[in-house]
Amino acid sequence: MAKKVTLLVGTKKGLYILRGDAGRGSWACEGPEFAPAEIHHAAYDPRDGSMFAAVNQTWGGSRIEVSRDMGKTWKTTKNPAFPAGSDRTFSKTWHIEPGHSKTPNVVWAGTEPAALFKSEDRGETWSIVKSLDDQPSRAEWVPGFGGMGLHSIAIDAKDPKKMMVGISVGGVYRTEDGGTTWVQDNKVNGAPSERPDVFYCIHKLLAHPEESGLRFMRVHEEVYWRDPGETTWQFSTKGLPSNFGFAAAIHPRDRSTAYCIPLDGMRRTASPFGIGVYRTTDKGKTWDRLDKGLPEGAPMESVREGMHNDRLDPMGLYFGTANGDVWASKTEGESWSRVAQYLPYVTSVHAATIE
Amino acid sequence: MSKSVPSDRRHGVRMLLHGAYRGFAGGAREVTLDATTIREALAGLVSAHPSLTERLRDEHGKLRPHLALFINEDDARLLGWEDAPLHDGDIVHVIPAVSGG
Repeated sequence: MAKKVTLLVGTKKGLYILRGDAGRGSWACEGPEFAPAEIHHAAYDPRDGSMFAAVNQTWGGSRIEVSRDMGKTWKTTKNPAFPAGSDRTFSKTWHIEPGHSKTPNVVWAGTEPAALFKSEDRGETWSIVKSLDDQPSRAEWVPGFGGMGLHSIAIDAKDPKKMMVGISVGGVYRTEDGGTTWVQDNKVNGAPSERPDVFYCIHKLLAHPEESGLRFMRVHEEVYWRDPGETTWQFSTKGLPSNFGFAAAIHPRDRSTAYCIPLDGMRRTASPFGIGVYRTTDKGKTWDRLDKGLPEGAPMESVREGMHNDRLDPMGLYFGTANGDVWASKTEGESWSRVAQYLPYVTSVHAATIE
Repeated sequence: MSKSVPSDRRHGVRMLLHGAYRGFAGGAREVTLDATTIREALAGLVSAHPSLTERLRDEHGKLRPHLALFINEDDARLLGWEDAPLHDGDIVHVIPAVSGG
C-alpha cells in the first residue's frame, strides 16, 4: 500500500489534522479538536500508529491526549506529575517524542517547568526522569521569553540509551546509559564569544534518524552541526540572513542536509527578508534560500515546532505560520504550495508518514 | 446523565457542571450527592467521575486556579472555599473561570 502523509497541526485554538492523498497534492482538513486549548505539539508514533497531543489549557489544567485510531477518538492520559514535596507543578507539555524502535513501549515528554518525563506504557502514564531533575546545574536554568521548558528530545538513531535533551534556557544534556546519568554538552567551536550565555537558550535540537551521532541544532542566535564522534558543536550560521529563529528540520536520509527558517531577532518575524526556508547541503558550511511559491517579502513567523518533514522520497517538508498558514513542499523545499490557510496561530506541524 | 449517591437527603446537594467541566466528565451535566462542605462535595464528584480528578486539582492536591465554584448564587471563595458549608437543597455550580479581557 502506498504511503501517505498526515499533518498534525497544533494551533493556539486546537488541533487540526490534514490528511494528504497519495500524491501529497490535496489535503483534507479536519478539526479543531480540543479548542480552545493551545496545542503546543502533536506527534505520530510510527511504531504502533498512536498519535499524541500536548493540550495546554487553563481550564482543567494541561494534559496529554492519545489516539489509537488515527485521530478519530482521543483519550486523556494520566498527567505528568512532579513528585510530592516539589515546589513545582506540571504546567504545560512542550514536546512529545516517541521512543526508539528498540524500546517499543517508551514515549518521552518534555514539560514546563523544564523536566523530562518517561512513559513505559505507550503514553498512558508518565514518570519524571529524576536523574536529570537532580542535576545541581538545574538551579541555573531560567525562563526564556516563552517560559522554561524542555522541548527537544533527540534519541540516537542506533542506540536508544544515547539521548540528548535541549532546554530553554538550560542548554544541552546528554546521557549514554538510558538516562541513569547525564552530563552537560555545551562546548562550541567557532562561535562568537560575546554572549556565551545565549548558547544555553536552545531552540531546537534534532537527531538524524539514520546516522548515529549526527545532530543539528537551532540555538537562540546560531545554528550548529555535530558529526558522529565529535564532542563540540560546530558553529554553522554563516550564510543565513539573520542569526535568530526557531524552526528546524534535518533530512531523514542525507547526512549533510538540514533546514531552518531564519527570523529577525528583534521583530521575531521573517522581515525584512521575507519568509523563506534555508537549506544546507554541506553540514552548515553554506546555506541557500528556498522560496519558490512562497509570498515574496511576507513578514511571517514560524515557531519552535513549526517545521517538520515526512519520510518519503523525495522528502516532503512542511511548515506552519503564526498567521494560520500551512505550507508544503514535496520537492525537498525546491517549491512550495499553501495547503491550509485561515487556521489559528500555528504552533506546531508534525508530518506523519503512514503505511 | 446524572449519577446519584444514596442519601438520607439531610445534606443533599446538586452539583451542576458547566462548560469544559461537562466535557471532562464525559458529558455529565449534574451529580446529586450528600456533602456538608465543598471539600466533601468535590470528593463525591470525583468519586462519581474519576476523569475529573486531575482536571480539578494539580498533582499536589491544590484546586486549579481557573476553577470557579458557586453555592447557589454566592462565590464559594467568599464563604470559606473548600470549607464552605453546604445545606440541604444547595446547588453547587462548577464553572470554568473566565479571566482576561
